[in-house]
Amino acid sequence: MRIEVIAAQALSGLSVGMVLFLIAAGLSIIFGTLKVLNLAHGSIYMVGAFICYTFTSTFAHVIGVFWWTLILAPIATALVGGLIEIFLLRRIYAEEMLYQYILTFGLILVLGEMCKLIWGVGYHTVSVPWPVNGSVPILGISFPVYNLFLIGCGIAVFVGLLFFMHYTGLGSTIRAVTYNREMANALGINVPMVYTGVFMLGCWLAGLAGTLMPPMSVVALGADMEVIIGCFIIVVIGGLGSLPGAFIGAIILGLLTSFGIFIVPRLAVAFGFILMIIILVIRPWGLMGKPE
Amino acid sequence: MKKMGILVSMLLVMCMVAWGIGFVPEAAAAKKKPILIGHVHAMSGAMSMYGISCATGGEIAIAEINAAGGVLGRPLKQISRDSKLSPETGLRESKDLFLNKRVDFLTGTISSAVGQAISAYAKRAKKIFIINISQSSRTTEELGHRYLFRIDTNAVPYFGYGPALALAQKWADKKIISLGFDYEMGHNGLRVFKEKYLQLVPDAKIIDELWPPLGTTDFTPYISKIANSGADAFFLSCVYGGGELAFTKQAWAFGLYDKMHAVQPCAGDVETWGKVKKGEPYPKGALATCRYPFWSIEDPKSKAFVEEHYNRVGFLPSYGAMNQYFIIYALKEAIEKVGAVDTEKIVDTLETMVLDTFVGKVPIRTCDHQAIMPTWFGIMKFTPDLPFPHITEVEVLRGESPYHSCEQIRKLRKK
Repeated sequence: MRIEVIAAQALSGLSVGMVLFLIAAGLSIIFGTLKVLNLAHGSIYMVGAFICYTFTSTFAHVIGVFWWTLILAPIATALVGGLIEIFLLRRIYAEEMLYQYILTFGLILVLGEMCKLIWGVGYHTVSVPWPVNGSVPILGISFPVYNLFLIGCGIAVFVGLLFFMHYTGLGSTIRAVTYNREMANALGINVPMVYTGVFMLGCWLAGLAGTLMPPMSVVALGADMEVIIGCFIIVVIGGLGSLPGAFIGAIILGLLTSFGIFIVPRLAVAFGFILMIIILVIRPWGLMGKPE
Repeated sequence: MKKMGILVSMLLVMCMVAWGIGFVPEAAAAKKKPILIGHVHAMSGAMSMYGISCATGGEIAIAEINAAGGVLGRPLKQISRDSKLSPETGLRESKDLFLNKRVDFLTGTISSAVGQAISAYAKRAKKIFIINISQSSRTTEELGHRYLFRIDTNAVPYFGYGPALALAQKWADKKIISLGFDYEMGHNGLRVFKEKYLQLVPDAKIIDELWPPLGTTDFTPYISKIANSGADAFFLSCVYGGGELAFTKQAWAFGLYDKMHAVQPCAGDVETWGKVKKGEPYPKGALATCRYPFWSIEDPKSKAFVEEHYNRVGFLPSYGAMNQYFIIYALKEAIEKVGAVDTEKIVDTLETMVLDTFVGKVPIRTCDHQAIMPTWFGIMKFTPDLPFPHITEVEVLRGESPYHSCEQIRKLRKK
């Protein structure tokens, strides 16, 4: 295998992985703090993608419309998440895990049907924005600039989140609530508000992924199911609740699938699952998670 | 009292006479009673463009025929119903059309699943059902029967034999890498393509087969694999609509269309590419098949048809519209030859008929009731004539070679 080919395949895998990282990071953060496994997280990503399409097509005449959308669409998605947390999730925190699964599974169906009602069953496209359109030669192979941009976004978000969690007051508050909810409550921290905030942060991340994906793909129903399985694989490999775990997990899954396609295309889809099973057997809390 | 009695009797007699008179015009009206053609299609949702287009094609034919006096003095009437892409709904609407609305013929559908459900019912009910879009070759091959016809191409020429013949004629590439969704149609599409292509170009090889899961919209790792595979050409098996758009966007970004030959059968679909503007990603230079490239068909009747379709619904016709137009005219010809709306005699007439259409003579083949519609192919480009990318250097495949032969069908039916 030539070095250029390895590089191209690695970069392809990383760009796919970084979009999944953004969604998985949200899923992981929500679980880490709220102890809720949001099965509907893929659906929230899909809502973000549809919101991105709506903004870019409604304001298509505005210069740099995609960049405005990149700021606004994740915020709009976070607001949708906030409504879900306040009116639905809050009611089941005290209940068994089973009710969480039933509720969030129900949300998958409800959000899916709402998207169908609002945006229809067809597919929609968003153009790759200037200046990240075009391609660059990497070791002689033409590689799209947008995919490099995605890798950059993933790394930037990871670093930004780490900084936020460890070097800001808000971040410390969130970590306190994650570590010990009752003690945080006793110290006067408004735990319900932190929960809402963290859920909204997770949805903001999903919305960001939903905004970044459309230029290189299509916006359509079914996007939720397409990503949620990859996200679960990532958080199992990396460790549920761990941000660095989600990052490493995403890189591993992206590269594994990409090289799998290169070497044994017919089995490539299985590689992620096989690794997930191995991790579950030998280290169930994931590579960077903590054993309960 | 007596006066009352006379009054009531007179009223009764008048009523009876009026009622009696009612029957007489009916006999006269029977001559003008319309011949009803049912049409079950996707009239709402993502595929509604096809349903509306087909219905419109039928309506145009009906308007022309009725203006010229109808068929055997009777006007034609088309009743369209929405299948909602569900076999149960499609079947229910078909039954309602046959049993309550008393349609004489049924046409449709886009979904092969709906088509097969209606076909099975039409076989039991002994009513003629003519397919105008759905492509699964199984419907007319393994599952074909006396009352089923297809005036339309099918998956064999469109996804398989057509691209094979076109590629053999155009570039005859030896090393091909394929990509298709991992489901029945995807695998069938490649199998049918290989069947024909390896016969025409014996030293050709499918060097690798890529099968992303159905519904994949991120093909990036597959595309870099294709780009570095050393193949002369890549072949997409049954990748159409949103998945095809996503693939093309990503392949375009990787410069794949400049790197190697592209065999992308569905790229010829106006339905998918009609909204793409110049500068946006499209399958540049790809070899594509097309089922109604109206821009390259010279017959003025075709041009008039395109214009009338556009005037009626505001978009350009899909091939289904053309098919439904031919179906209405085929029924007219058959009914007139037979002299009555007699299903059995019409079946006998249709199954050996040669349709005289604006794309040439189209014979209906007796062994499977499949009309031998032509398949066109060409190279995808943008030209100043049209605002969307379309096939150019258009060539046509006529005759039975793009279809399974009757011998092959006999073997399939025996299994």
